[in-house]
Amino acid sequence: MFNKTDCNRTEQGITRRGAIAAIASLSASALLAGCSGERTERTDSTANTGDTPTTTSSKIKKNPYTEDIKIAYVAHDLSTPNNQAWLEGIERECASWSNIVIQSFNGESSAETQTQVMADVINQEYDAILLQCSDGTALAPSVQQAEEAGIPVITINLDAATVHSALVMAVDYDAGRMAADKIADQIGKEGKVAIIQGVPGLTRTDNLERGFRETIANYPGIEIVDAQSAAFEKEQAITVMNSFLQNYPDLKAVFAINDAMAEGAALAAQSADKKGQIVIWGADGEKDALAMIESGDMAGTIYTNSWDEGSTAAKIALLMIGSEYSYTVLSETPQVIMEPIVVTADNVGSIPEEDRW
Amino acid sequence: MKKIDWEKMSKPIILVGAIIILSVLRPQSFLTANNFANVLWSVSVIGIMTCGTVFVFLAGGIDLSIGTLAGLSAITVVEIIDKMGATNASVIIGIIAALCVGAFAGMVHGLIITRFNIPAFLVTFAAQSVYLGLSMVITNNRIVSAREPALFTSIGSMKILGFPLPIYLMIIIALISWFSLSRTTFGRDIYAVGGNPEASEISGVHVSKDIVLCYVFSGLTAAIGGIVLASMTQQGMASTGSGYETQVITAAVIGGVSLLGGVGTVPGCIYGVVIMGLINNGLNLMSVPSTQSGLVQGVVIIIAVAFDALQHQDQSRKKVKRISEQIKGTASS
Repeated sequence: MFNKTDCNRTEQGITRRGAIAAIASLSASALLAGCSGERTERTDSTANTGDTPTTTSSKIKKNPYTEDIKIAYVAHDLSTPNNQAWLEGIERECASWSNIVIQSFNGESSAETQTQVMADVINQEYDAILLQCSDGTALAPSVQQAEEAGIPVITINLDAATVHSALVMAVDYDAGRMAADKIADQIGKEGKVAIIQGVPGLTRTDNLERGFRETIANYPGIEIVDAQSAAFEKEQAITVMNSFLQNYPDLKAVFAINDAMAEGAALAAQSADKKGQIVIWGADGEKDALAMIESGDMAGTIYTNSWDEGSTAAKIALLMIGSEYSYTVLSETPQVIMEPIVVTADNVGSIPEEDRW
Repeated sequence: MKKIDWEKMSKPIILVGAIIILSVLRPQSFLTANNFANVLWSVSVIGIMTCGTVFVFLAGGIDLSIGTLAGLSAITVVEIIDKMGATNASVIIGIIAALCVGAFAGMVHGLIITRFNIPAFLVTFAAQSVYLGLSMVITNNRIVSAREPALFTSIGSMKILGFPLPIYLMIIIALISWFSLSRTTFGRDIYAVGGNPEASEISGVHVSKDIVLCYVFSGLTAAIGGIVLASMTQQGMASTGSGYETQVITAAVIGGVSLLGGVGTVPGCIYGVVIMGLINNGLNLMSVPSTQSGLVQGVVIIIAVAFDALQHQDQSRKKVKRISEQIKGTASS
């Protein structure tokens, strides 16, 4: 269930552009939070003022670059490209420090498995946990337990329903919105559109779909005729797309909640001799989707640099380990939002090979 | 006039009934050759795997490893294509290697089960984890893409007379299985082994050898399923095929296969597979929201199986009545 990685290998070059984007989006989100009056009030008791800290935080700080550090990465499903890219990003970030050990755990898409893993990780006194919650509500008690034990929890994309150290996420609602606008442009603002859904109930996927639907509503000529789930699976998406093609011969576009399903839909369209005739969009920006945009099978995707996202989460973890900063001062979880890039055939070439995960 | 055997007719009746209902509900899209091709294409991998695993079920065993074994086979073929280059030669070598992986794994299952007398459930359940683990190690948990050569990608999607190739593969494998089970001594032995292994042993059947062969065939069809799946999706990953064992077991049981062994037929399995495909297709065509499709799917399966079981019970009740009347008749005379 777990893979151990000793991080004493050379760093493989995190993209500078991505890191800058993350910092930019961090400041942007801080600015946004400030504008909406949701900025977290930091109490004086936690402000570190140099040599004489007046903190009342019980959190013990460690030097993350010299002391022995154990970081747990609890994935939703390690076999997905996203989860792998995050893991690689985390490993690359920590690769220069041999004192840091990254241990990855596979949640096997199950909140129960993740809860058990969380209990083990807390018992083994890890220094930080990077978590992608299969179910934000089910994992909330585990996340709280970890934070209470002084272990900072940084969630990636899938949030926990309790206040914790940080959430690093790719845009979801906005990704749906951007895809909707682009699709509308590409089909001339009229025609039938269908959605291929993931597993219902996950915040990210629900928000993506909501963003898409609410934006499409601005185009009176476009009708969302159907929405079926393919459970994030490429193969199931082939079946779903076949039934769309069967039911709606005049279908203009399909928006799939993730790239794997968009790739499946593109394969079905290809097999029905409709390659390029139906505008197919995904969201994530994985390597194969970019290749399919290049070959004209897919029309576009919303790309996020997942390596950079993992690396950002790791950076925050190291920062937390090295500080007395405690989650107790927070009224809500602070967020870092990754830069989304709208990719179409026009600009797919601008995403360099080394940024394709 | 020959009396209609309702016991045999119940499955075709349900099938025709389902087709009529869906044709009425979705007249434009359901009753077309293209849609039937889609239905069969979507269940072809499950069909291929069920036709092999049915041997194991009939011999009184179970094979829970077929899903992840299909995944391992898929990875074997795409890894070879990836490493050797996208040439036709690497496709052929990859396919042969994947088939060997499947057959060898099946042989190992069979040998462990028969030599060490360990329940098949345990052996194949453990093997399931082993194959998933192996696939993860080989791929380092990454997706291995195989978008070319055309020889490979056409396995899963090439159309002959409007029907994708996997459907023909399913039919060929179903015919081989049907022939082996109903027209050969080996087939008769399998039913005997599943019905009563001790009695079969005493009557001279090579029980162990037959059981090993059943698992080899099951492994082989899992590998074929994996190759087709990899070709259809143009990729292989550790989770490819995961969960297929449940679908295969469901299809077999819907088709009248007893998990206790000795009862079931290949046409029954194909019926189970097609019913599952029809339900799925019907739900998609009727745009049932994903939040409700699981519920509807479950209820429809229960109704179909209950209707089938009712027909069987009716027939057995009539049989019992007839026999008891005959007994009474003989007693009174």
